[in-house]
Amino acid sequence: MTSALVTAAVRTPHIDVAGLSPLIALAVGGMLALLVGIFLGRSARNVTPLISLLAIAASIGLSIWQFGEGKSVVADALAIDDLTLTLNFVLCATGIAAILLSWRSRAASVAGHPEYYALMMLSLLGMLVLVGSQNLVTLFIGFELLSIPLYVLCAAEFRKEGSLESGLKYLIVGSVGSATLLYGLALIYGATGSTDFAGIDRALAGGINGDVLLLSGIGLTLVGLAFKASVAPFHQWTPDVYEGAPTPVTAFMAVATKVAAFGVLLRLFDTALVNAQLDWAPIVAALAAITIVVGNVGALSQVSLKRMLAYSGVAQAGYLLCGLVVGTQLGVKATVFYLAVYCAMNVAAFAVVIARERASEYGDELPAFAGLGRSNPLMAWPMTIALLGLAGIPATAGFIGKFYLIDALVDGGYAWLGIVLVVGSMISLGYYLRVIAAMWMGERSGDVTPVRTAAPAPAGGSAGTPPVMAGGSQEADAELARSSKLEPEVVGVAWIATAVVLFFGIIPSPLFELAGKAGSVFTGIF
Amino acid sequence: MAEVIFFIAAIGALAGAIGVVTLHNPFYSVLALVGHLISLAALFLLLRAEFLAAAQVIVYAGAVTVLYVFVVSYVGDGTVPLGRGGARLRVIAGLFIGMLFVELCIAMLGSGLKAIDGDGAPYVPGFGSPADIGEALLTKFQLPFQIASLLLLTATVGAVMLARRRDGGRALDDRPYVPGQYITPRSLFSGTLAEAVGRMRAPPEEPRQPAPVPAAAPAPRDGANPASGDDAGEEA
Repeated sequence: MTSALVTAAVRTPHIDVAGLSPLIALAVGGMLALLVGIFLGRSARNVTPLISLLAIAASIGLSIWQFGEGKSVVADALAIDDLTLTLNFVLCATGIAAILLSWRSRAASVAGHPEYYALMMLSLLGMLVLVGSQNLVTLFIGFELLSIPLYVLCAAEFRKEGSLESGLKYLIVGSVGSATLLYGLALIYGATGSTDFAGIDRALAGGINGDVLLLSGIGLTLVGLAFKASVAPFHQWTPDVYEGAPTPVTAFMAVATKVAAFGVLLRLFDTALVNAQLDWAPIVAALAAITIVVGNVGALSQVSLKRMLAYSGVAQAGYLLCGLVVGTQLGVKATVFYLAVYCAMNVAAFAVVIARERASEYGDELPAFAGLGRSNPLMAWPMTIALLGLAGIPATAGFIGKFYLIDALVDGGYAWLGIVLVVGSMISLGYYLRVIAAMWMGERSGDVTPVRTAAPAPAGGSAGTPPVMAGGSQEADAELARSSKLEPEVVGVAWIATAVVLFFGIIPSPLFELAGKAGSVFTGIF
Repeated sequence: MAEVIFFIAAIGALAGAIGVVTLHNPFYSVLALVGHLISLAALFLLLRAEFLAAAQVIVYAGAVTVLYVFVVSYVGDGTVPLGRGGARLRVIAGLFIGMLFVELCIAMLGSGLKAIDGDGAPYVPGFGSPADIGEALLTKFQLPFQIASLLLLTATVGAVMLARRRDGGRALDDRPYVPGQYITPRSLFSGTLAEAVGRMRAPPEEPRQPAPVPAAAPAPRDGANPASGDDAGEEA
């Protein structure tokens, strides 16, 4: 009888299964991929990605179903509103792209297909939880669920030089970021006495503004999230990790993590901490300016395309911060818009990098792209359009995105940051055009010469030498065969992403309407 | 009485934390960690979080550190130098720690140290009891609680994924792992602007020139697995 009394006393929260369904689809997909993998032998390499794709498609469908409901589920732990669902569309699209790009990758087969795809799904779930969180505890759990699978995935290709280093470096730096974030969240809780975003907002409105404990908390939280969004000066892990990680994982990390990090930055700073905007906006503006300069200047001298795209991602994080600085609905809309087009542009670029990496002995370095325009225009065009879009050339969605960001900046009184953004974009042409020039005007270099076999001399080559990708002659033959025919899924991903970039560059209104709905969930700002 | 216990426990926690990072013998580091965790448990007790204190002692001071001791005695044979970071790195790290310390001191002193004379947050009987924590986990924090289970699953899968490749059954090849084998030597300033302007580059790699003729009969590497293509990781 006592148990009946206890259940009567405890008010259990209402669990809105319909609202949670986009999350449940992702979680179930990850579990199924893991469980089904036990019973499958070789066919796991095709079945587990298929299950993951179906689960992501289900999540997209359920998000469409829930769109416009604006729910707050399970004791206000999570907001399933238009912002969450819009970002879920972007996250799911990048997830589909990452899975297709991983399909025939070495990383997935070395790591084991079920585990690889399950971790990717769980990381996606973590991102969705993070962008929807409206409670500090949910925020931190989502942050960890995003990060831990990525640490493992970075090290997935254990035997490749740099992969283990990448995973280890990301783990250590990411843990520092997590610890900083947790410290900041604890201080915010200590200052406001609430873990709910709404409660924090109430406490701030009640006049504890300017409390030093709160300001320290905001600062540390910002630093913790800046680590994940690779905002300078907390970006130093980015080039090394992006370079060493398996390229499909790099692509996933570069786009999806940024969506999640900026989603939570928007929600935390524009709902919970919006009353302290005068305190944090100058810091965020300074970070944005530093990030734009550091990212663009850093990319100039890079030879490895993955490293260059890492620096480019740092610079783009600076552009994205601009939408946060102003603390207006226009800023939120511009950020969401730019996040979507940023994902499309980067997915296209990384798809081409993956295709070249599998075909060329230069891997992802600039010579691998020389003469691509003549030898393989099917791959050169997506890369060209993606890079022009990242630079912000008109007729691409990147231009429209930057236009809206600058509009938001000027509207919010940060015109000087708009000038920094434009100057940064001008610098960025220096490295984007270098790749484009190499592709269309460079001399085509031999695709399949197995040069790396010369490196490990028999004397020291037994254990100490890192095994490089190109192996014996059989592999060279296989590469010769592979380079002549393109993998359809990689080409498809590259071209669909390119089409998105071009479509929204010419007709941006559908995407801006979606971003507008996402932005209007923040009723506390204008 | 509470003040005395607080200061003893706080000093113990700080000393333990400093000991963990400064002691050179990893075994002593683990012992310092135990001291730190037990002091923290005492602080939790002062906050009337009995359950948390007990969990701290049982889980962290007990189970987790036992694992650390196992690992240390398994791999820590003293051949790997510890605590010898780069001198520059130490300076930078010290600088950052100093800045963080100053910032936190300002934050603490900025609050006027009002809390020293106060009695702390009001205490509700039953707060911090197992029943109370259980209720919080199943009501207000139910969703984070459930997602935490997925987090544990992720950690397990990840650990299995990373550890599997070196065991006998699934190993890709038999070459022994050399510590640092897969680590690229990098400059301390990798990822900073120093790299961008061309100074302080990572040590140059051996030149990577493409062989002019592909028919140069590439000798297969010793011990190379012939099937190390894309499908190499598949079990037969």
